[in-house]
Amino acid sequence: MSGPGTAAALWSALGSLPLAHLVPTGLGPWGDGMARLMLQPLDLLLLVALVLLAVQNGRSWSDRLALVLPLNWLVGGLGGLLVVRELPLALLCAAIVTAMGVLAALGPALRLGERFLRGGTAALSLLFGLVAGSSLAGHGGALQALLGEAVAIAVVTALLLMALDPPHPRWLALGLRLIGSWIAASGLLMLGWLSRQPL
Amino acid sequence: MGQCWRLSSWAVLRRHSPLPPALVALVAAVLAPAAAWAHADLHPGGGLVAGFLHPITGLDHVVAMVAVGLWGAVLGPPALWLLPLAFPPVMALGGLLALLGVPLPGVEVGIALSGLVMGLMVLFELRPPLWLAALLVASFAVFHGHAHGAELPAGTHPLLYSLAFVIATGLLHLVGILLGEARRWPGGRALVRLAGAGVALVGLWFLERALA
Repeated sequence: MSGPGTAAALWSALGSLPLAHLVPTGLGPWGDGMARLMLQPLDLLLLVALVLLAVQNGRSWSDRLALVLPLNWLVGGLGGLLVVRELPLALLCAAIVTAMGVLAALGPALRLGERFLRGGTAALSLLFGLVAGSSLAGHGGALQALLGEAVAIAVVTALLLMALDPPHPRWLALGLRLIGSWIAASGLLMLGWLSRQPL
Repeated sequence: MGQCWRLSSWAVLRRHSPLPPALVALVAAVLAPAAAWAHADLHPGGGLVAGFLHPITGLDHVVAMVAVGLWGAVLGPPALWLLPLAFPPVMALGGLLALLGVPLPGVEVGIALSGLVMGLMVLFELRPPLWLAALLVASFAVFHGHAHGAELPAGTHPLLYSLAFVIATGLLHLVGILLGEARRWPGGRALVRLAGAGVALVGLWFLERALA
């Protein structure tokens, strides 16, 4: 069988197997992967927190975030697909989300700097992608689901960046910090739940 | 037949209601029977629904959260945004303590006191220093978090529940701030003080129950 033919057969066979860690949307693995972002609050909260930090620290970095974030996520996810079992890093992820929420709540007064934001975003999106990939690894349609989630991340990031394009009026700057505080609070509660009953 | 009745009643409601149609629709949606949510707990959306409804269905929690916003409005900036900014993480810290099994004595009394004290602050328009106001609100937040943050209905997704719980709490603060902004209008100041009196009375009622 030719290379593309083998790939197509493999893709089709994978797609017919059940998907764990995904809520069936009826749209197949691709759609399930897109929905995963909305149904995995830690992933979604990290994304929102990173967008908040980017827009709070000026336009130069936020313009590149829509590309960097999904690509790093995808690379991390592809690495995660090679992992045999799900990485038990949910607690670490919850702690990271909490910390990012705190940083966003403290606002632009922190002056984090573009280098810190760039490095942090790359590292965190790789890590969260790795965890997402490992949770899908070994299950049918994992690659399609991962691609679907990466596309969802790109779309949501782009939409948020468009809506929150700096500079911000005072009320919006305060609103962004408020959302940061909500993210920190959610992360803390999630940390508690995960320490009590790991998902 | 049912569809026809609904359409005609909607038309009558729109014709005779003094309120704008959008507001009528909003009220109708809020008052709609909860039967449609009966199976919400069987999917991840159940976590969101349960988490969102939990803070807004407990009167003690509702009045205290609204009072945070009201008192912030009375105190003015920066307390106006600082109190609602600080409350959710500290409340979540209380929830975290509960989830980790750390006991906190007098939780119900603390919650009742939060309504009573903040209601009185709004009623008498008391303006302590910012650090004292923040400390007071943060202390109350720990009690609220400890009591409510760890209550998870069976079968719900804990992470989505937590997220929705925090959002609903934050929205209650915003309701309080919006009510407090009525002070800018003639008669609004009296209205806000009246709301503070209402909060204090509810707090007093819960305190009596907690001590009984």
